[in-house]
Amino acid sequence: MFKKSLAIAATLIGMNAVAEEVTITGTVASKCVVVTDTVGIYGNPTPSELSTATADGGVEPIVRFDVLQASFYKARITYPISFSESPALTDVVNWTGNVSVAEVTDASMSAYDTSKIEFDNVTEVDLTVAGSTWFKVESTADYGATKAFPAGTYRAVVSADCIAL
Amino acid sequence: MRYIMMTVMLTLSGYASAHQWMPTYPELRPSYVAGVLTTKMELFNSRNDVKYYEILVYDKDFNPMRFATQEKIVEVGYLKRKNIDVYIREEDRDKITYICSKSKLLKGTGSVTRVSSRICSKIK
Repeated sequence: MFKKSLAIAATLIGMNAVAEEVTITGTVASKCVVVTDTVGIYGNPTPSELSTATADGGVEPIVRFDVLQASFYKARITYPISFSESPALTDVVNWTGNVSVAEVTDASMSAYDTSKIEFDNVTEVDLTVAGSTWFKVESTADYGATKAFPAGTYRAVVSADCIAL
Repeated sequence: MRYIMMTVMLTLSGYASAHQWMPTYPELRPSYVAGVLTTKMELFNSRNDVKYYEILVYDKDFNPMRFATQEKIVEVGYLKRKNIDVYIREEDRDKITYICSKSKLLKGTGSVTRVSSRICSKIK
């Protein structure tokens, strides 16, 4: 009799354990995620030029902005106008660059290329559509036709800001 | 359906190389010190090339404003989340507009062109 009671009790306890629930909670909130998709590489097509263009042997850096809700953020992307690290340079470097939309998850985001605001080396885009947008950044450093960049490592920084509106 | 897809996408994208700073619109509330307001921010680092983030506070024109945190340069490991309490003076309440986190890139590491990310939340 005691053995039977013990067995029933053990079974009941066992059933309770099986019925235990684990909760998973999550929150969906407005947010912006800045993703470094591709880091860039400067190609050296001529002695006086460093360029991220594919035709020049470079790789264009690509930054992705993910926004969960439309019109909550703007993207501000800055192409470099100086090296963060380089050998000693004795002359001025002329910088050019451009920021453009590379890929989108929503067709209406392609309008970002026409609605973007550009000043100095800065491009601002109001992220008016929820989803992901990939921006590619072109950067060229020109040392002048008669000059050659000295040998060494050159590094530059692209800034990608996501600012709440 | 769209939001579910976005949530899945953002969750997956978080494992690429990303920087998250939440909430979008933080609310200031009184702290335990009289005349000082506080808000709690959350930083998530899934950039494996970045270990340190700087906390910054600006007015509407992006002029730096005075504030206090436990650390202004915060170490956040890869795929780690950190809650950060930001304290500001009550008299600056109307001036302070943005609370930002910015990735700090270490000199001489990584590839040739690097990306510095900054996300700014806006106080409403």
